[in-house]
Amino acid sequence: MAVKQVQTTCVYCGAGCQMLVNVDQEANKIIDVEPANGRTNQGRLCLKGHYGWDFLNDPQILTKRLRKPMIRKGGKGSPLEEVEWDEAIRFTADRLLEIKNTYGPDSILGTGSARGAGNEANYIMQKFMRACVGTNNVDHCARI
Amino acid sequence: MNYFVKGNPDLCIGCRTCMIGCVVAHEGLHIFEIDPDSYTFNPRLKVIKTARITVPVQCKHCENPACMAVCPENCIQLVENAVVINTDKCIGCKTCMMACPYGAIEMQPDSGHRVQTDGSPRMVANKCDLCINSKRGPECVRVCPTEALTLVTEEDLEKENAKKRIAAARALAEVNG
Amino acid sequence: MGVPEIEEARVLLIFGYNGADSHPIVARRILRARQKGAKIICVDPRVTETARISDIHMQLKGGSNMALVNAMAHVIIEEGLCDEEFIARHTTGYEELKTFVERYTPEYGEEISHVPADTIREAARLYAKGEPSMILYGMGVCQFSQAVDVVKGLANLALMTGNFGKPGCGIGPVRGQNNVQGACDMGALPNSYPGYQNVTIPEVREKFEKAWGVPLSDHVGIPMTHVPDRVLKEKDPMKQIHAYYVFGEDPAQSDPDLAEVREALEKVDFLIVQDIFMNRTATYADVILPATSWGEHEGVFTCCDRGFQRFRKFIEPEGDVKDDWEIISLISTAMGYPMHYENTEEIWNEMIDLCPSYTGATYEKLEKYGGVQWPCRSKDMEDKGTPYLHKDGNFANPDGKGKFFCADWRPPKELENDEYPMVLSTVREVGHYSSRTMTGNCRTLRSLEDEPGWAQMNVEDCRELGVEEGELVKVLSKRGYCITRCMPTERVPKGSVFMTYQWWIGACNKLTTAHLDPVSNTPEYKYCACKVKKIEDQKWAEKHVREEYAEIRSKMGIQAAKEGYAL
Repeated sequence: MAVKQVQTTCVYCGAGCQMLVNVDQEANKIIDVEPANGRTNQGRLCLKGHYGWDFLNDPQILTKRLRKPMIRKGGKGSPLEEVEWDEAIRFTADRLLEIKNTYGPDSILGTGSARGAGNEANYIMQKFMRACVGTNNVDHCARI
Repeated sequence: MNYFVKGNPDLCIGCRTCMIGCVVAHEGLHIFEIDPDSYTFNPRLKVIKTARITVPVQCKHCENPACMAVCPENCIQLVENAVVINTDKCIGCKTCMMACPYGAIEMQPDSGHRVQTDGSPRMVANKCDLCINSKRGPECVRVCPTEALTLVTEEDLEKENAKKRIAAARALAEVNG
Repeated sequence: MGVPEIEEARVLLIFGYNGADSHPIVARRILRARQKGAKIICVDPRVTETARISDIHMQLKGGSNMALVNAMAHVIIEEGLCDEEFIARHTTGYEELKTFVERYTPEYGEEISHVPADTIREAARLYAKGEPSMILYGMGVCQFSQAVDVVKGLANLALMTGNFGKPGCGIGPVRGQNNVQGACDMGALPNSYPGYQNVTIPEVREKFEKAWGVPLSDHVGIPMTHVPDRVLKEKDPMKQIHAYYVFGEDPAQSDPDLAEVREALEKVDFLIVQDIFMNRTATYADVILPATSWGEHEGVFTCCDRGFQRFRKFIEPEGDVKDDWEIISLISTAMGYPMHYENTEEIWNEMIDLCPSYTGATYEKLEKYGGVQWPCRSKDMEDKGTPYLHKDGNFANPDGKGKFFCADWRPPKELENDEYPMVLSTVREVGHYSSRTMTGNCRTLRSLEDEPGWAQMNVEDCRELGVEEGELVKVLSKRGYCITRCMPTERVPKGSVFMTYQWWIGACNKLTTAHLDPVSNTPEYKYCACKVKKIEDQKWAEKHVREEYAEIRSKMGIQAAKEGYAL
């Protein structure tokens, strides 16, 4: 078994703990997690840091990982159908353009994500809302 | 002298990382791979919260264990400074559970998922074994985020006692002038 | 200040912050401070783990924060415990505050907060005399309809005692989610571009217009918490929200008054959900865009003390998924505004060059130093960031001074009444995160706590209702009801119910109100009127919970759910 060890920042809570993830490279799966000596965590982790990673293996306990774009081709009430990325992107872009053209850019609101997506993705989201859509209607769940 | 794990209520935050650590240490890392409903979540310590106290409670590994004395099948033994239950021999009679003054023994489905002749799970006595099969020592001590748990050894106790005796000697000297 | 500095405080005033459940690793620092001799003042209606080990526990009545803070300011001023020199050199508005808090005697504070006047005096003295004293606050301050005022009130205490800009003091909001600080830092806010640069300042806007090559909107946008109103109640179609792009969030579980939120999600013309898991919100979506997860992509998070830290990819994603930034760039390009990036570092470099406070925080430095606390203005390797935001008492106001702020106490918006005689406050479950699509899919965390969650209630209230630990009960408010398990405890005061928000069946946000703080737009999750009812037929209730759970899971794509699952 080829094991690689990667240092990363924990995805739960604002403490910003550093951890070492041991990965079975052939199986492409986490084996376990060890605490690293980060500035805030000093070699300790909590239960979510130690044991909160097996969601990555999609164990289908609570919900299912999303693996393929889906759209409601027939509008509201029709079933979600799996499609290729090209179609999903085109569908989304056309619909947003149509709404922007009819009701103006301030009729669209987008969220950032305070969770695993990271700063770069948030930067891109607000840039998209501001520069492409043309609105400052961008926010995230800071309040919950 | 037997060792034991002691929780410090001044440091415990009640997060129960120790309880998960205990399960992972005894069931093995493969539980993160298998069918989520097919493993036994049987922590051998329990975090207790009263109005003003929070601390994990687990087996004290008594020197004269009441559980060992009452077991009709002789499946409780002293192994490497620990009181350990041989679950293969356990008949699930619950006598040890009743005898333990700490409430540290519970009946749990057998970790090996063995069943009885009628298909029902085989229930066995379950308690802290100080992780004697692990090189890393008690897992609860290792994973506690606030370092609220410590393994107390014979040497630790003797050192503490020696300190206390010195303090006592000084106190006595003051009393007698 | 940073997380490690907590250990340097001699007095910690911990206000509406329960580190043990929300950030165990920050709670660890509080314990270490205490071991080094720090005194702890805890302000919380519950006996939290911090309250349990505190020197002074001010067990206040929920919704009275402002009165208590003003009363503490009153004591500090009246007893001459202020740092006069610091006030003179670094602050403005002291005289106004002095006159303003005159009527907030500890006795008046007691009337509102139910904390004995002498305890308020003792706590104010202890805080004022600490050298240094630090304030940590959390959602017990922010999730009220009077929240921003209280934050400013806490800042008053730190200003009047000179507790700013040096080690071991200051006022620290302990941010909840891993990257809530980062989402704010990056401008996922209706009023600011990345780096807290206001959208209404013409020079700032011009800078971003030039960088992005398009004209930008000159007015502040609307916050997420206004979406239900803008979909359901706004009559003018031009002012309505018609499209909602939800990225890595789950408002159908996490927002207040779920019946209303879910109706808005159903009715909005176009709903886009971009996420890693199927969730409550995604069931209403017109488009679902599957993204890579933490572990499958890389980037930078900001932790609660402004620390930028790298997070790394360690496994290859499975299925037809893309990185979040790539998905958004593709949509943008398809809409006629091309965005192309090779990797996160290219995005990061564009961003830091637009934000003076982050300019120096290069990937190179994040790698080399393990992280950087902003502000970090220079790319010179010697600029390693800033642990103290208001260093040496210099503040962000134009005159460089800290401003005292006066605000009267306002009661919460929905008070207990004859029909709903109890107060519901929503809190955190240590082993679960947000709406739990991640932790609920982790085996051991699920084993530790699962549906339908708990209603923590005072032992006496439970006795009066005739309910016991583990029994299923119905909790109701004006807006809806849910079923959960009863947890009698002496740690919560009589007349209150505490629940955590991540459960589907025990979904306390079906009960909460959408009353917001006027400045932050944060909902009053910590206060609404409710009542608890005993369920006579427990067998029925257990079966109902199991069936409902199975049904929602199967909606989320879990095939096995139908076969049933023991709770």
